[in-house]
Amino acid sequence: MNSLRFRKKLTPYLLLLPAIIVMLVFVYLPIVENIYYSLFRWSSIDPTMKFIDIQNYTRIFKDTIIGGALKNNVLYSVISVIFQVFISLVLAAILESRIIRHRWANIFRNTLFMPAVLAITVVGITFQLIYSPNSGLLNQLLRGIGLDSLAHAWLGEEGTAIYAIIAVSQWQWVGYDMILFIVAIQAIPDELYEAAKIDGASGLQQFFNITIPMVRETILVLSTITVIGGFKVFDIVWVMTAGGPNNASQTLGGYLYRVGFRNDEMGYASALATLLFLITLALTFIQLRIGRTGKEA
Amino acid sequence: MAVKSNEKASLPGGLHRSIVQTRINRVLAYIVFGIAMLIVIYPLLWVLTNSFKTDTQLFDQSWALPKVFKWENYVTAWKYGIARYILNSVIVTVGTVVLNLGISIMASYALSRFKFKGQNLLLFFILGGLMLAPEVALIPLFRILSFLGIYNTYLAMILPNLAFGIPFTTFLIRSYMLGLPKDFEEAATLDGASTAGIFYHVVVPLCRPILASAALLDAMRVWNEFMFGLTFITSDKLKTIPVGLMAFSGALREQYTVVMAGLIISALPMIILFLLTQKQFIRGLAAGGLRG
Repeated sequence: MNSLRFRKKLTPYLLLLPAIIVMLVFVYLPIVENIYYSLFRWSSIDPTMKFIDIQNYTRIFKDTIIGGALKNNVLYSVISVIFQVFISLVLAAILESRIIRHRWANIFRNTLFMPAVLAITVVGITFQLIYSPNSGLLNQLLRGIGLDSLAHAWLGEEGTAIYAIIAVSQWQWVGYDMILFIVAIQAIPDELYEAAKIDGASGLQQFFNITIPMVRETILVLSTITVIGGFKVFDIVWVMTAGGPNNASQTLGGYLYRVGFRNDEMGYASALATLLFLITLALTFIQLRIGRTGKEA
Repeated sequence: MAVKSNEKASLPGGLHRSIVQTRINRVLAYIVFGIAMLIVIYPLLWVLTNSFKTDTQLFDQSWALPKVFKWENYVTAWKYGIARYILNSVIVTVGTVVLNLGISIMASYALSRFKFKGQNLLLFFILGGLMLAPEVALIPLFRILSFLGIYNTYLAMILPNLAFGIPFTTFLIRSYMLGLPKDFEEAATLDGASTAGIFYHVVVPLCRPILASAALLDAMRVWNEFMFGLTFITSDKLKTIPVGLMAFSGALREQYTVVMAGLIISALPMIILFLLTQKQFIRGLAAGGLRG
């Protein structure tokens, strides 16, 4: 009887054990180790690690590429919030207003979501082809309507590369966030809209006075997640330009990867990863704070 | 930009105006979504139509529909490695998703049906993973995988993907379990069923809907995962689609139309899966609310 009770007590721990082990070894251990590794100079080929205390961190402040990379991260975040939070919300509100016939609303919703299921490489290479200076769709389109002067080597010019990449990211994710907003809007009680209609509120008034306040929580959470995503971004940049030309489209994540796995300066790359960790941690903290005040309000 | 069309008005004149207004709003809404749909779909159609052309045709008139369908592009792409990449993606995705569901459903069961010491701490330990960026773990993971002797194997993708997938999947399943009535489990306990028996015969079947949604979302994430595949795999034989496509398009720089055929082949499995399972997909998004 006693051993049975003991086994009953042990059950939840045994059930949790696999999850704990996997996450300990492949999530938490690496994140702690990363800070340790950032205090050394080392490479993947040479096993000896030379302790250099915080030199990797002081180097961050002198590194001229970092400033440009962080500026691109900020650009990425800001533009993404405009499109993936605000424009997604407006699109969701239109679809949920039943102004569009049900059948078409479904078609629009599913089509706009579709890019989100595509691999980043499929999207990246597709747009490399679309941006390509001569055979690309975009320049052909511009030349076709007589705007030859606006044609660019979109990914090859320092002035346009990062914007061309950010645009692709909006193309891929606006529909995804739109669906999240649709879900949030569907949770709003219908009576609120009915009452507003009886009071003669216009659609626009309903949007600002009912929809926005009622999905406030989703707006806040999606905004921070989008901003964090803007600071973590690596894959789309690596696929489309690898940070080029001349680091013009570099981001923190892309630079971290280049320093670590191309230049083989693992210690410095670890320090950059710590910087990324601190940024995402700070943003998460802000999210949690805002989220809490949101509930109190 | 109107929300919930407004048709109420007190005066006949106002009524007329409001009907006109509604009609204008409707037309505007269709125009906005028509344009949005065109922007989303046209690039994909452009790749699709051009994937059937010869390279000269592409350069001459990339607008036009192909005159003759050059299916060889697809055959070339398939043989040039795409088939292998798809196989690898299937192995890595299925491996990760199966392990993730198994581990997460056990963890969720413990966290939603038992009271034990350290419960909140362990809940925080698992869900805390949602806040951590895989980028930060990349360099130490590279060393850990080498140390374990599994660098450049399927496991080098499966295990890190699994570890970063558990928090979200556990979050989904646990919330679902918390919302399930406990009547069936209590009845089974009274009938003398064991904990394991209840778990297999009562809880798992009841969770089927959320398991389907969680599996789909996780499959989409792993199928499209890029960074781990890029960093932890060196041999071309093991590359998954996202990483393999880069090598593929690099090697075929001059044959755009074959690259396009490769893109279409790679995109199809996920598009088909999505179209077949929209309901589960959207339920998963609704339950999770956010992307991981």
